[in-house]
Amino acid sequence: MTMNDETIAATDRSAHFDVRDFARTARGNHRATLQLGEYNAKPLPADSLRLVRYLGQLESATMQHLRNVLVTATHKDARVTAFLVTWAFEKFWLADALDAVLEANGVAGLEEESSDKRRHALSEAGERRGPIRRAISAIIIGTPIVAVHMTVGLIDEWITRTAYKRLAETSGSVALTSTIDMVLDVKRRHSLFFDDESRRRLSGSAQAARLTRRALSGAAWPIGAIDRSDDDRSFFEQFTFGGSEGRARAAAIGSAVAALPGIGDQVAATLTARLSR
Amino acid sequence: MAFDVDKYTATSVSVRWDDLDFEQFREMPLPEYSLRTLRYMTDVEYHTVCYTRDLLTTPSHKEKDVSAFMTMWNREEFWHGEALAALLGVHGITVDYDELKANRLKLGWKDRLDPIKQSVAGKIVGMDFVAVHMAWGAANEWSAITAYNRMAELEENPTLAELLRRIAKQEARHVAFYTSQARDRLAKSRKAQVIARFALNNFWAPVGSSIMEKSEVVHVMNHLMSGEEGRKAARKIDDHIAGLPGMQGLTIVQDSLDSLGIAA
Repeated sequence: MTMNDETIAATDRSAHFDVRDFARTARGNHRATLQLGEYNAKPLPADSLRLVRYLGQLESATMQHLRNVLVTATHKDARVTAFLVTWAFEKFWLADALDAVLEANGVAGLEEESSDKRRHALSEAGERRGPIRRAISAIIIGTPIVAVHMTVGLIDEWITRTAYKRLAETSGSVALTSTIDMVLDVKRRHSLFFDDESRRRLSGSAQAARLTRRALSGAAWPIGAIDRSDDDRSFFEQFTFGGSEGRARAAAIGSAVAALPGIGDQVAATLTARLSR
Repeated sequence: MAFDVDKYTATSVSVRWDDLDFEQFREMPLPEYSLRTLRYMTDVEYHTVCYTRDLLTTPSHKEKDVSAFMTMWNREEFWHGEALAALLGVHGITVDYDELKANRLKLGWKDRLDPIKQSVAGKIVGMDFVAVHMAWGAANEWSAITAYNRMAELEENPTLAELLRRIAKQEARHVAFYTSQARDRLAKSRKAQVIARFALNNFWAPVGSSIMEKSEVVHVMNHLMSGEEGRKAARKIDDHIAGLPGMQGLTIVQDSLDSLGIAA
């Protein structure tokens, strides 16, 4: 399968991402555009609702992610932090929109904590590190860590974008499809920034590429999944990357990862296998 | 009164300055020492996200209301930085991200260890540490409002005063959040009161002290907080802080002015 749409489209890097413009035109509260009334007549199927909740919980977990990112040298880069401030703002409102969808369907919102057990894969041990260990290792690593954060951000965008599209396809809901179009439109600029930064930093430094290869091999996808239940994560993986079509979707992300500067086929293959486990 | 986070997030906006006549400053620029103070304020506002980092390493990030507030707070403070940078811009002073980055890179080891220290302390004292952060945040936001108001008074330029008034108005909502959080959490825990009192008394320093050169801190404090009126303003901040549960009698702002050698 080729990624012939904007999911993993190569970015036009002739135009450097304008962080000030992004901040100035950030998009907030979406509640007025969600067509929530439609759900009265046509509530979403249970699987769709579960995925809406899962994705919403990931969107709302920006502060946890910022914690891990900001204890490293990434916080020194004022352009990156300016982006992240607005990124967190936009994601806050995406989560709010998804919460509103759940509410309109009369089911538990994003605050519903799944009591199920976390996944304890050995390969993800690094992801479970707290801020102290992250801060300590970051002291040794220094600024190349920014490449890791930007690349993880980019791949996270590819994965969640794929999930949102799958959700729109399977829900059979006009209202949800329109909400997801909005979500993807907001997230498009996040992808552009990460894409721009990731490729530039990976091609500029062999150390950055090496660190990123290592981080990608031990990452839990999408960002924030480490804090979600094993059950929810398996559901997400099955829904988005299950079956032969799902595996093709995972393979397409793998190809895009392999094409990132200095990352290579092996890391991409590990990532693909983990998505469609 | 409890702080309504939903109302806050729903009404949080970036500060406006496009309707203010900044062009007048090309003809009649603000004096050098005021620009130096404004530059300090700009850096502090842009730097807020790094302060978030210290907050986030403690248990507070797990709380939904705190997360929601911090998301909006960060963005508002970023825009204060943008507004002040625009004002400096018409004075020919460019504040770009690369320059901010260079400043942050100068911070070195102390800055690198900060999140670890904070986090260790946060782990040890658990939820009580959130109360400490809230009290600390309240002290900082009160200081920020005071600084903007003092600047507006001293400069007597209506356009500058209007911009600073708009910024201070947003800071007032931040104060409301921090004080309501601090009050509740301190009132519930004697241990939190003891830790907060200890932390404020021993470690608090004027906002920006950890990110700016000492010469700049002294300049800003001399400019805004010296003399009779400056001290009166400092006393007012101290009175607010002392009003928090368990903080009676603290005079951390006046103490820090003394230790910086700022004339009363």
